[in-house]
Amino acid sequence: MNRSLFWGCYDSDIQKKIDYEIRMREGACKLLAACSQRDQALEASKSLLTCNARIMAYMSELQRMKEAQVMQRVARRSSDAGPMDDRSPCKGKVAISDLRIPLMWKDTEYFKNKGELHRCAVFCLLQLGGEIFDTDMVMVDRTLTDICFDNTIVFNEAGPGFELRVELYSCCSEEDYSAGSTPRKLASKLSSSLGRSSGKKLRAAIEPGACSPTSNGGGATILLPVPSVPGPKYHLLAHTTLNLSHVQDSFRTHDLTITGNEECSYWLPLYGSVCCRLAAQPHCMTQQMMSGCLRVKLGGEPQGWTNVYGVLKGTNLFCYHQKEDMEANVEPVLTMCINKETRIRAEKDPHSKTQNICITNQYGGEEVMHTLGADSREDTQHWMEAFWQQFYDMSQWRQCCDDVMKIEQPSPRKPAIVTPKQGSLYHEMVIDTSDDIGTVTDILTRRIDDFELRSQLGAPPHWVSLFEEETPRTPHNYQHRPTAHLPPHSPSPRLHSRQPRSPRCHRSPGLLSSNASLTSDGNSSASVSPCFRPAWSPDTPSSSGRFRPRTLSLDAKLSTLRGRGYGGFQCTCQSSTAVVVSPRPSQTALSCSSSTSSNSSSEGSNSQESDVGFSRRSGARRSLRNLRAKLDPRNWLQSQV
Amino acid sequence: MSYIPGQPVSVVVQRIEIQKLRDGDNLILGFSIGGGIDQDSNQNPFSEDKTDKGIYVTRVSKGGPAEVAGLRIGDKIMQVNGWDMTMVTHDQARKKLTKKNEDVVRLLVTRRSLEDVVRQSMMQQPTH
Repeated sequence: MNRSLFWGCYDSDIQKKIDYEIRMREGACKLLAACSQRDQALEASKSLLTCNARIMAYMSELQRMKEAQVMQRVARRSSDAGPMDDRSPCKGKVAISDLRIPLMWKDTEYFKNKGELHRCAVFCLLQLGGEIFDTDMVMVDRTLTDICFDNTIVFNEAGPGFELRVELYSCCSEEDYSAGSTPRKLASKLSSSLGRSSGKKLRAAIEPGACSPTSNGGGATILLPVPSVPGPKYHLLAHTTLNLSHVQDSFRTHDLTITGNEECSYWLPLYGSVCCRLAAQPHCMTQQMMSGCLRVKLGGEPQGWTNVYGVLKGTNLFCYHQKEDMEANVEPVLTMCINKETRIRAEKDPHSKTQNICITNQYGGEEVMHTLGADSREDTQHWMEAFWQQFYDMSQWRQCCDDVMKIEQPSPRKPAIVTPKQGSLYHEMVIDTSDDIGTVTDILTRRIDDFELRSQLGAPPHWVSLFEEETPRTPHNYQHRPTAHLPPHSPSPRLHSRQPRSPRCHRSPGLLSSNASLTSDGNSSASVSPCFRPAWSPDTPSSSGRFRPRTLSLDAKLSTLRGRGYGGFQCTCQSSTAVVVSPRPSQTALSCSSSTSSNSSSEGSNSQESDVGFSRRSGARRSLRNLRAKLDPRNWLQSQV
Repeated sequence: MSYIPGQPVSVVVQRIEIQKLRDGDNLILGFSIGGGIDQDSNQNPFSEDKTDKGIYVTRVSKGGPAEVAGLRIGDKIMQVNGWDMTMVTHDQARKKLTKKNEDVVRLLVTRRSLEDVVRQSMMQQPTH
């Protein structure tokens, strides 16, 4: 459908918004169809719902504009201009924050210890005028006493007659949810039994145009019904409408209208009210409504005019010496209150032909009058107009004009805070048969390393080398091994005896060390080799035999056997000094390889190293295991290509 | 490398051209991938932003075609032969990499260090 033709020449802004939302909706549909996890499906469904609501809102706005245009044309044709000086109040910002909806669980629910926790995913949809926002999703079960939404939502162009509709949607969070999933299962069964192409057609038939817009004949909710999308569906649980009378600079409780009943799957025992802070900042309070040069009569003398630069903002008229003072935030010379009690009138100046503006205020019991003059008649008229507009705005916005209400600008939505999965320790441990006793100690202290590891994964300095020179050589000191009396490929004694190694005899030491950074460390080989014995002790030199160079394919096979989850952590070797364990992993973070042995030879052959070696290696082993655990295919699918 | 849905993403990328290696009947590239819009992005140890559902390189075979071409573990794959990889399922990504009739894959990958290096080198430019 050629949308532009259909809508004619209407506001392209709204059109763009509609297009954007439709793209978002398609993305959400795609995500919903593809995701396998419950949380993702709930989030995608929520986005879908919000997109639908926005599309509906934009379309009805377009409709309204179309109608308004038609009305205007009609009016013009009948040459009935109508009163042109209909005053309209200024717009303002309306913010709603700290939404809290109390729940009322039956006391039996609180103390029920057995049985599954009935959980619901809930979120709020807030609409004001054409703007629709959704809050983050919250999981609710009987351990919560209130549903709290931390978001602050700011609507920017609201008139004083605004209506803020708050809707609470919930979706039951159990495995076999509504009928929405059945057609999909049925469809997939049918499609698989019918064969690929006919099955595909059937599937398409069963789920027709899941994302096509369907028109809503002015339903009560903001929602656009899209019945054929598989996945979790949210239902309206409660709603309320807030307006200017609910605005206050503090928390207030409002009533909720609850739809749905106990039989529904998405039911939650709501107490029946919602608490929130609804604040409004009309533009007349926060923006300069009028500014210009004025003359003020100070003192009682008839001729004592002082030139000032006047700024009308909020409930005050500030008079500065000059315009630059205002910009420099210098204190004004004179501040006059302009509020509901102020009286302003224009009167003819007895000494000249111009008109003066008299502003009368009650300060305490006293009446104080200021006289202002403008440079020309038009200016005087402008100022009077501005004052009248200000009064009108204040009468429309009422309590919002007493004082400026504070509205916090919400920060851009941060990605959801990831709390580590609270599984049992057994779930987190990945223990190979080859691991030694030190494993348990390692695992218990793993948490600390976790943090280090994560922070270090992102910033390996040796990538700089990619830009300095073409060869993938690490600038590490590893290449300059002071104690390198061991050519890299010579069989390293004892510790790595039956390690699988790739044939490396022809490699140069320099390249080795660069490869060293690119390959798994000796530790990994140590721990993954099925033959590894825990003997890090220095007293088994050259006893355990020699290396057998293996072919690449065998390496590959070995690595797949061990699961694909091990990345490379450079063994902290080479240098003879007993260095600290932790900095090492940082420099080697991004290395990986399937071959396991490359560094084994460089582990160092002298016995001095081996003593320190133990502590060093266990540290690196720990980090390696971290990564291996993370890359465990049971947790996170990986594919070899 | 975090993204805002609906907004274009701009990153510093490196072009990597990998010649597939024939191993009997298979064409292998020599690396492994993780991630995808249908996967749990919280499990990704390489991503900065844990909501990033992109495709990441989780392992590079030593001496394999990918390593030789310059691919590194932890890289995020943005495109494969022109196909977008930032919003695909795991299986879609794997399929785009393992097409039997293609001998070469040209990837656009990004990594944090690329951005850092570009920024560093920009800062080091003497201003004339």
